[in-house]
Amino acid sequence: MSEGVTARLKASLAQRVDFSEVLAQPWVTLSAGGIAERSVELERDGRMPLGELFEVSGSPDGRIRFEGDLARVDRLGAGLREGLVTVDGPVGNEAGLGMTGGALDIAGDTGVRTGAAAPGYKRGMSGGELIVRGSAGPEAGAAMRRGLLVIRGRAGDRAGLGMIAGNIIVFGDAGADSGLWSKRGSIAALGGITPPASYTYACTYEPIHLRLMLLRLQGRYGVRVRKQYLNGLYRRHSGDMAELGKGEILEWTAK
Amino acid sequence: MNIRGVFIEDTFAEAFTMRVARILITGHSLRWVRAAALKLTGFATSVIGCKVEAGIERELTPAETPDGRPGTSILLMTMSKDDLGKRLIERIGQTVLTCPTTACYDGLPEAADRVGVGSALRFFGDGFQGSKIIAGQRFWRIPVMEGEFLVQEKFGMVKGVGGGNFLILARSAEAALAAAEGAADAMASLGGVILPFPGGVVRSGSKVGSRRSKTMIASTNDAFCPTLRAVTQTALPQDVNSVLEIVINGTDAAAIALAMKTGITAACREGVVAISAGNYGGKLGPHHFHLRKIMDRAAV
Repeated sequence: MSEGVTARLKASLAQRVDFSEVLAQPWVTLSAGGIAERSVELERDGRMPLGELFEVSGSPDGRIRFEGDLARVDRLGAGLREGLVTVDGPVGNEAGLGMTGGALDIAGDTGVRTGAAAPGYKRGMSGGELIVRGSAGPEAGAAMRRGLLVIRGRAGDRAGLGMIAGNIIVFGDAGADSGLWSKRGSIAALGGITPPASYTYACTYEPIHLRLMLLRLQGRYGVRVRKQYLNGLYRRHSGDMAELGKGEILEWTAK
Repeated sequence: MNIRGVFIEDTFAEAFTMRVARILITGHSLRWVRAAALKLTGFATSVIGCKVEAGIERELTPAETPDGRPGTSILLMTMSKDDLGKRLIERIGQTVLTCPTTACYDGLPEAADRVGVGSALRFFGDGFQGSKIIAGQRFWRIPVMEGEFLVQEKFGMVKGVGGGNFLILARSAEAALAAAEGAADAMASLGGVILPFPGGVVRSGSKVGSRRSKTMIASTNDAFCPTLRAVTQTALPQDVNSVLEIVINGTDAAAIALAMKTGITAACREGVVAISAGNYGGKLGPHHFHLRKIMDRAAV
């Protein structure tokens, strides 16, 4: 059985690389050679084919796996619309920027603005599922419109900044001002969170839809979810009252 | 054909194509799951008088439900697509939305034909409702005094079969009841079928139309009524004093055939004279379940 395409980093990156164009166009049926021809842009050396930096192998089946330390790779999965992309370590800034579909599963940490809106655009993620198994930098999910962003570790400040809708689940602590200026959308905070002052506490209850999401994470991505999160109670804070007030922060609380 | 001394008549059950939806109800505990399920499937024995036929298919373990809570699976059936949508909205709206702790999901996710349910019920939220898309499916969160009612936006519907049946012809009412209870119990764990009548058993089998009224769709099946043996053209052997019917609806003919075989096998016991089946001469329903063929193999 095919294991999809693998892109293995040939040598450590000495400069930042922009991956904006690698997966933004349809790719799931491309051969390894076709993917190797996609352009990347290096901070100092300019454009070059992905294949110059990565050894790309395997056969297409809707999956691609990136191997190596990609902490200097920015905008990996930007504009993603299909397929399953896995990364076996950390990535740089703006991973999953404005993605509309597919799944991006990152084993390590991510930099700033994960799943956020591209510069000049009003909407961030508008579909798909973005799993960060490490921690995410500031402004993850900023201007998110739809989809699911999961941060297994900590979320930096202002997660979900100006969210329009969609879902963010943070297993670790969520940074300051998470959910600020949100119109709709949900932030489920399983670690600690201090909701912005513009949020208002509503009640403590058991949101059943969150069980569905957590069980899906467990089943589809193998994300370990402790029973206390499935069966637990959540404090619902409505906000941002400075905007529509139709968003929410669901803060897990021990029974 | 005889099974443990019970004669299997050379006849067939005649059944109809119906539309079926599978409803999954979950809740905090089986107490509340059952409470909702019993209400939802109440007054749903026959489309003739209830507009819908429904029953509990089986109970589900937490591992089998979408939200990891105890649950139950229900089949709800009507004669048309339009009716199915209306009945789902009415019944889920009145019996599950109202029931503490429950949530309601589609149990036929692969069905291409889909009908809006949560998309209609959401209006109860009076503008305060919200939705979530999970794994490509939209779920509505309807605020209620208890907390939130979660219901899937669309439910699948497929063609099913309604009206599979067999008749237990017994020497006494006690023997007929014991055989019917045994048959219903044996079929209770089977997937893909429901027994829509009380306890799975019908005492008032019907024939098409009426001798006296042109407006009645159905009236008592006098040929199988022991008290009318002397005044009508009876279908009963001399030593039969009570008859009970088991009606079986299902997602497909194979499921019904298997259920009939299971039920008949359990019903063949002391005090039962014969097993028969209800049909209309084969002219009304496209599905014919021949008793002897069914008892010869696992499925037809």
